[in-house]
Amino acid sequence: MKTKVSSLLGITYPIIQGGMAWVAEYHLAAAVSEAGGLGLIGAASAPAEWVRDQIREAKKLTSKPFGVNIMLMSPYADEVAKIIVEENVKVVTTGAGSPEKYMKMWKEAGIKVIPVVASVALAKRMERSGADALVAEGCEAGGHIGESTTMALVPQVVDAVQIPVIAAGGIADGRGIAAAFMLGAQGVQMGTHFVVTDECQVHENYKERIIKAKDIDSRVTGRTTGHPVRALRNDMTKQYIELENKGAGFEELEQLTLGGLRRAVVEGDMKTGSVMAGQIAGMVKERMSCKALIEKLVSETDALMKGMKGYE
Amino acid sequence: MLEKLKTLISENLEINTDNVTESSSFKEDLGIDSLDLFELVMAMEEEFDIEIPSDDLENMSTVGDVIEYIESHK
Repeated sequence: MKTKVSSLLGITYPIIQGGMAWVAEYHLAAAVSEAGGLGLIGAASAPAEWVRDQIREAKKLTSKPFGVNIMLMSPYADEVAKIIVEENVKVVTTGAGSPEKYMKMWKEAGIKVIPVVASVALAKRMERSGADALVAEGCEAGGHIGESTTMALVPQVVDAVQIPVIAAGGIADGRGIAAAFMLGAQGVQMGTHFVVTDECQVHENYKERIIKAKDIDSRVTGRTTGHPVRALRNDMTKQYIELENKGAGFEELEQLTLGGLRRAVVEGDMKTGSVMAGQIAGMVKERMSCKALIEKLVSETDALMKGMKGYE
Repeated sequence: MLEKLKTLISENLEINTDNVTESSSFKEDLGIDSLDLFELVMAMEEEFDIEIPSDDLENMSTVGDVIEYIESHK
């Protein structure tokens, strides 16, 4: 599975574990990197010193490359951006905005910058700003999403830019990875399946809920607020969507989701928490180590890609 | 300038711009989300041959803000 992305990042397989808030901490990131992929530490809205600690702990567990995902709307974004340089992190992915103002600082430090984009316009803008690669994430993904599906978005982004494109959203097995390659991607980013790995430190309930999920179990809240989020359906999503249909305002809606992700991921509150996961949760049925997952993904993809010679 | 901007907005975002004035806000009056805003910004950059860094974008919430910016950077 050697591609421009694996060589750009100095990793064995171009498989990135998404920098999910509250989920992507150093145990998970280090395990993914050790297994040959690229682990990411999700900075989310955590204070900068937490991110620094996570980076240092990850380095104790792996000497392979790993990265940090910076959430640009975090009040600590400026400090996190600096810590990424100070702690010698070699890869950064970005979400929730445009990382233009940090680009010069990061590029001067030799860091590979990979913004996550949900539109062609943003992809072009990021390439222009100096991004090394892009993650084109479709709305099948869990968490904050855009409008387009992976199937529609990825090839259009691939057509629009020269830099390598990494596909994300709706991928959890070799078929998804092979499909991403067919769409023109040179790598994949995955979230949902990594949540149920052994090294992922989240609450049991959250892992169980993903394993039990069916294909149609996810809901998108916040379409009316301009901040759509995909999560598995529960009392909270039902109430939220009902309120949205009645025209509720942002403040009222926010009451339902404030602290919701933490409640779900850390405390295991499946009823009122934000149980973020992608549409592909229905396919995720088995727990395993990161090593076993990556080996499974690679052998499935190999079989498909190499088996294509017989096409007529 | 306002007319040019209105044309760009209606062409790129398929929005009716009859009632758009300099005080129209992107989020509240035009209902534009962040992805749409980037579409618009790319179109404006091409039309007026300027670059608008995202830091400057953060301070633009109305059509008037954009007009002011473009005029001072032409």
